[in-house]
Amino acid sequence: MASRLGNWLDERTGWRGDWTAVFLRKIPKVNWAYTLGSATLFALILQFVTGILLTLYYVPDPEQAYASVDYITNELPLGWLIRGLHHWGASAMVLLVILHMVRVIIYGAYKYPREVTWLTGVVLMLVTFAFGFTGYLLPWDQRAFWATVVGTEIGAVVPLIGDWLKELMLGGPEISGLTLTRFFGAHVWVLPSVILLLVGIHIFLVIRHGISAPPKRNN
Amino acid sequence: MNKEEQEKYLEEYAEAKKKGVPFFPDVVFKDAVIALVVFIVVVALATFAKASLEEIADPSDSSYTPRPEWYFLFLFQLLKYFPGDLEVVGVFIIPMIALTFLVILPWTDKSTRRHWSGRPVVTSITVFLLAGALFLTWQAFTAPAPPAAAGAPGDETAALYAANCAGCHGSMVAVKPGHDLFAIIEGGTHDGMPAWNSDLSAAEIDALVGFILSPDGHELYVANCAECHELQSLTEADAIELRRALDEGLAYPPHADLGIPEWDQALSASAQAQLLNFLTAPDGQRLWTQECASCHGQSVSYGGDRGQLEDIIRFGGGHLEMPAFEEALDPEDVTRLAMYVTDPPSAPEGAALFGRYCATCHATRVPPADDFEAARAAIALGGAHEDMPVWGEILTDDQIDALVDYVLTAAQLPDLGAAQRLYLQNCSSCHGDQGEGGPNPARTGDIIAPISTAEYLSTRDDATLRAIISQGQPNFGMSPFGDTFGGPLTSEQIDLLVAFMRAWEANPPVELPPEVPGAPSSSEDAATLFANLCSQCHGASGEGGIGTKFGPAWQASKTDQEIFNDINLGHEATAMIAWGEILTSQQIDDLVTFIRALRGEPTDSGPLTYVGVVKPIFDAYCNACHGTSGGWTGTSFREALTSGDNGPTIIPGDPDNSRLVQSLIGTHPDGLVMPPSVKMSPADIQQIIDWVAAGAPER
Repeated sequence: MASRLGNWLDERTGWRGDWTAVFLRKIPKVNWAYTLGSATLFALILQFVTGILLTLYYVPDPEQAYASVDYITNELPLGWLIRGLHHWGASAMVLLVILHMVRVIIYGAYKYPREVTWLTGVVLMLVTFAFGFTGYLLPWDQRAFWATVVGTEIGAVVPLIGDWLKELMLGGPEISGLTLTRFFGAHVWVLPSVILLLVGIHIFLVIRHGISAPPKRNN
Repeated sequence: MNKEEQEKYLEEYAEAKKKGVPFFPDVVFKDAVIALVVFIVVVALATFAKASLEEIADPSDSSYTPRPEWYFLFLFQLLKYFPGDLEVVGVFIIPMIALTFLVILPWTDKSTRRHWSGRPVVTSITVFLLAGALFLTWQAFTAPAPPAAAGAPGDETAALYAANCAGCHGSMVAVKPGHDLFAIIEGGTHDGMPAWNSDLSAAEIDALVGFILSPDGHELYVANCAECHELQSLTEADAIELRRALDEGLAYPPHADLGIPEWDQALSASAQAQLLNFLTAPDGQRLWTQECASCHGQSVSYGGDRGQLEDIIRFGGGHLEMPAFEEALDPEDVTRLAMYVTDPPSAPEGAALFGRYCATCHATRVPPADDFEAARAAIALGGAHEDMPVWGEILTDDQIDALVDYVLTAAQLPDLGAAQRLYLQNCSSCHGDQGEGGPNPARTGDIIAPISTAEYLSTRDDATLRAIISQGQPNFGMSPFGDTFGGPLTSEQIDLLVAFMRAWEANPPVELPPEVPGAPSSSEDAATLFANLCSQCHGASGEGGIGTKFGPAWQASKTDQEIFNDINLGHEATAMIAWGEILTSQQIDDLVTFIRALRGEPTDSGPLTYVGVVKPIFDAYCNACHGTSGGWTGTSFREALTSGDNGPTIIPGDPDNSRLVQSLIGTHPDGLVMPPSVKMSPADIQQIIDWVAAGAPER
């Protein structure tokens, strides 16, 4: 029964070929350090799921943002857990991204033929930081507000485009409701789109080239 | 890596794959295990270290110490090593170098070697970057809260800074020299900084200026002085006294019996300078107000170069001797003056005397006198009782630089050109050249209050000033000046005048109403009345100006009665007010006769001679000090031309090289401008110049 359904589907989608290519392919023997990339992916999926749940209750408005986060944290059943997972998941993801990158450097895995994979990885790291920075403001509490003040001041120091950059981030000369909607838009729409595209390319390339083998000392 | 090596790598990789394992289930299993571990850790953290929510964002509470998420802490910490202008290194350059390293890594490390031990450069750079980031993060975690937020005892300035400045400026602001920081804090800036004068007292702004300009001095204060001294008592203290306390160590009387270190020994010279810079910020305008204005007045004039000014301030001393007033005044007046300077309320009538005899040199300040006897002796006998302090031994180099900068810029206020001419034409005859006011020509016995004080200007907005100028204040004798109300000025000209008055605000030339000689009395003759009242508009010789020219044509067209009526009733809605309410009929009659004699030619005012014109000016401005103390004096024609320590002061026919003229207009190389604290009117100065140019005739 299951195999008949599988055949029926295969005729129409060709999934068996993809399954074989992705899951049944052989890869060199690797150690536990090679799980860091997939662990990062898992953290990303966790962020997507918890993030989507949070947007159901979060209101990106300076008048109501704090109250909505307060509601999620203190009244919504399991709201504290969802927010906690998103909060700590962010830290976990940053940590895993860094560890993953260190592993790639130590094993020289950015070398031929995986240079493009490496480049997408570097950009993915920057996007992850951008997620952290934009998400930090959303609760609209003191810590969020003042960390963003400092963060955008730091941005203003960048030569030539600093002032423009700061104004772009803030939507004006100082933090306002516009800043909040900007950060919300970036955190919930722009950055997720970018990260999905980049992660897609990154994983496609990993499968295409196969995961690098742990190098031997004598080579 | 060349083609061959690339192919070799692909071959080896294919080999490794053959010997390898299938992705599913072997690797997927490992991945799932790790994912589960990650999930459990995150759930545990979410459960046991709940995501917190602080107080709602409060943009006005800048005392909050911002702390970014842990993964940005290294950047935050890095910034502390690059303060001020170097910030860009920590914020941009170093992170950009690290990022560039990452981006170009595959192209810089192109060898076939992949094991870390075969790539020492990349490995060590990576370890260095990682270790650096870890170290900085660890530092940030263990370091106390970044900007000065918590106020240690005696650290109220740091708390003030944290509460008001740190939110935008971070832990410290770098200020380029030459900025008037006090004014910036007080008035805000155009690019977003608010004016703090409503939230902070002047003393608090002073303290902040010191804190920002000399952070090390602040630490020295906290470590050494804060235990005993309230900050404000020190920031408001006299600079001379502060220096004494540092210089004299335990010999300084208030410190003598205290078990404290001898500051002259305990603090190095540079530490002392930093401490003084903190307590009395190197802020020129404030230094001027605190240390100089009491003798030199609020308005700053100087015409020499920077080095000479610095020498004058550094070396001090060298003041003119005061004349012995017992020769000039009767003993009762000397007594009155002495009572006035010892205790002003006890002898209010001394104020007029002071204004007449002392204010030229002493400005508005009553020279301090310990007791009546000492004061009386000083006034009666004169002598060098008031020397300029040797500021070089009192102020720090930074403070002197700031003071010199301030004097040089304040003395060359922007040339307001047209606006100033308008003011001198229309306003100065009643309000004074500096807006200091004076006797009200329209109302006998009335004094016009100064319009250039900080208080006057800050309590009237531009619209109010415009309305006053345009509509006049008929109740106080001020006629309308706006053309819409029949006056001579267009609205653009009135705007210029308002701008001119606003220029006083930063550095008000007048603090108190001056002591004015008596208002015009009914006994004054027609010539004086004409000079005081009519000439402002009609010119000194009836040559016209704002008002009609009393030329032959005009003379022919008017009967005496018509002129009388014009003066008596005025012209409605013009600057010509009805003088009949102020002058007696007899005075108006006299004026008519006087005006009849005019021909509207400026040369009528008599020949420009020492006796007729110049001596009265010398008497009013110069001879009080110069008459008795040696050096040049203008008391007689002969002496005016021959006396002087450095040869003739007047070179007839050559005003540019006459020291007298140079001192009056501020072009003499020693920088001194005479008179020292009051301003001679430009007309008087011009008369002296013309007199010298005309060969300095005696009569």
